[in-house]
Amino acid sequence: MKKAIFLLIFSLSFLFFFLKSVFAINMESPLFKIQYGEIGIAGGNKSSANYSLSDTVGQTAAGQFNSTGYIVKAGFQYLHSIIPFRFSISNININFGILIPNSPQTATTTLTVSFGAAGQYQVTAIEEGRLRTLDEVNSIPDTQCDGGTNTCNESLARPWTSNTAYGFGYNMSGNDIPSDFIDSTYFRPFPNRQENESPAIVMSSANVGRNRQAVVTFKVNVSPIQPAGKYQTIINFVATPSF
Amino acid sequence: MQNNNLKFKIRKIFILFFLLTLLFFYTTKKILAQQISLSLSPPLIETVIKPGKSILIAYTIVNYADPVILSAKVLPFEPKNNLGQIKIKEEFDGPIRFSLDNSHLKLNQSFFLKTNEKEQLLLRLRVPEGAKEGDYYYTLIVESQPVTTQLEKSASFAKASIGANILITVTESGKIEIKPKIVLFEVLPRFRFSFFGKKINFFDSTDSIPLILTIENQGKNLIKPEGEIILKGNFGEKAKFNLIPQNILSQSQRLIQATPSAEIDCSNLSKFRACQSPVSLIISGFFFGFYRLSTSVIFGENSPQISASTSFFAFPIKIFTGLMVALTIGFFLIKRFYNKD
Repeated sequence: MKKAIFLLIFSLSFLFFFLKSVFAINMESPLFKIQYGEIGIAGGNKSSANYSLSDTVGQTAAGQFNSTGYIVKAGFQYLHSIIPFRFSISNININFGILIPNSPQTATTTLTVSFGAAGQYQVTAIEEGRLRTLDEVNSIPDTQCDGGTNTCNESLARPWTSNTAYGFGYNMSGNDIPSDFIDSTYFRPFPNRQENESPAIVMSSANVGRNRQAVVTFKVNVSPIQPAGKYQTIINFVATPSF
Repeated sequence: MQNNNLKFKIRKIFILFFLLTLLFFYTTKKILAQQISLSLSPPLIETVIKPGKSILIAYTIVNYADPVILSAKVLPFEPKNNLGQIKIKEEFDGPIRFSLDNSHLKLNQSFFLKTNEKEQLLLRLRVPEGAKEGDYYYTLIVESQPVTTQLEKSASFAKASIGANILITVTESGKIEIKPKIVLFEVLPRFRFSFFGKKINFFDSTDSIPLILTIENQGKNLIKPEGEIILKGNFGEKAKFNLIPQNILSQSQRLIQATPSAEIDCSNLSKFRACQSPVSLIISGFFFGFYRLSTSVIFGENSPQISASTSFFAFPIKIFTGLMVALTIGFFLIKRFYNKD
């Protein structure tokens, strides 16, 4: 009988393996830090030696509106951001060196967004045209990645590992990047402004973020029949806060 | 004799090498990658304004990196999705007129900023008489001018642009049209069953509860939600979560977030819907039985109140499964033990 009880206790002890730690409802928000309940117009510096901005504080007040003709609110009403919205690019000249056919060249730059407590932001990217020679006669096509089932486009990253898959594209790694950049082999082509394509969101966050960083890896691979020359383009990164 | 000649040659090569090394160290400079780092404040301006009026907004642009040539422009934008992202239009449109009041600067005109230098941009916003009532949304963009002729090799050049949004409500009387609608208020359950046409949401007791609240603004002016989400359990327990008053632009939807919210560890839950797209609120804890979630939202004083509710059941499915497995194993072992005896 003792043995039976022992076996029962032993088997019930398996239950503990299924238990998880249980906590009370989390009272801290990873999304937003509320520093001011409502700041109205008082947020932000709006005066200088020569100029001042005539503001009213708080919600829409009909009387005040009628007398001045306007009401202005600066900053996000639900928080006071001490750190201004800041955007950095670590290297703006992304040098590929001498392009050798069937030998992919890569170069990187780091994007950094600082936004105090304001949270939501986005960074978009678009190329001003294809990588092309200065006389605009020859160009390197935007990548389609490995092709077939691994064909990528401006909004979907796919693997690009073949040395015989040619073109120009980018990979993202780090904070707040699109989820389709699964690893360092996944690439997308840049949207092309000359082809009326919309900029692609390469970083975005709905959460609190200070020094959010992502690395952009540019990759170019040319075919043996690609004419020799110096190929260049401009990539426009636009960082904007939310509304 | 030959030996002396050889020694002389070696000494000559050594001296030449030494001189070339010195030349290298004294004539070459350390080259660092050219960086760009800009800040722009304030990041958001909201204004309610009458036709015929103008206001002045003082922006500060700061250059924290290498000297840079910049220019400022204003372009309209529209909401891209319900997550607060925007799509900046390529061409200017709308009745609002923008200009810079700076004596030495104009919009679309280049200006130079040294390292750690700042410039105040005094943006004049004017609403012409007769401008149509409604909302107009713009972004002030300060962009760098890329220098494209420095490299002699194939390269791409990054251009950095930083923006700040301007939300303008044009109204003659100061009245704002408030036409909100809750389009989605539901949990993202682990299991969902249909019972006589009614959807029943199930969670494990230890699951985090992800919730989505999407509000549509059917009016012609932006609105800002104020309210809360309330969780009530069948044992009288209650928790309140405040809605974050994020702007919902006219004729658009927005996923409204609430606080305080927990986090889900998505490392092993990549297919879980709450890990694939943002949610309004994540509630963590130990749940047992029936729970009701409700929300009531207003949009400023004297605005209509809108509300919605949803519910879910939570049972300790994992613990129950574990108990059953343990009992089965125990029963099997006891039976075997008695059979041996």
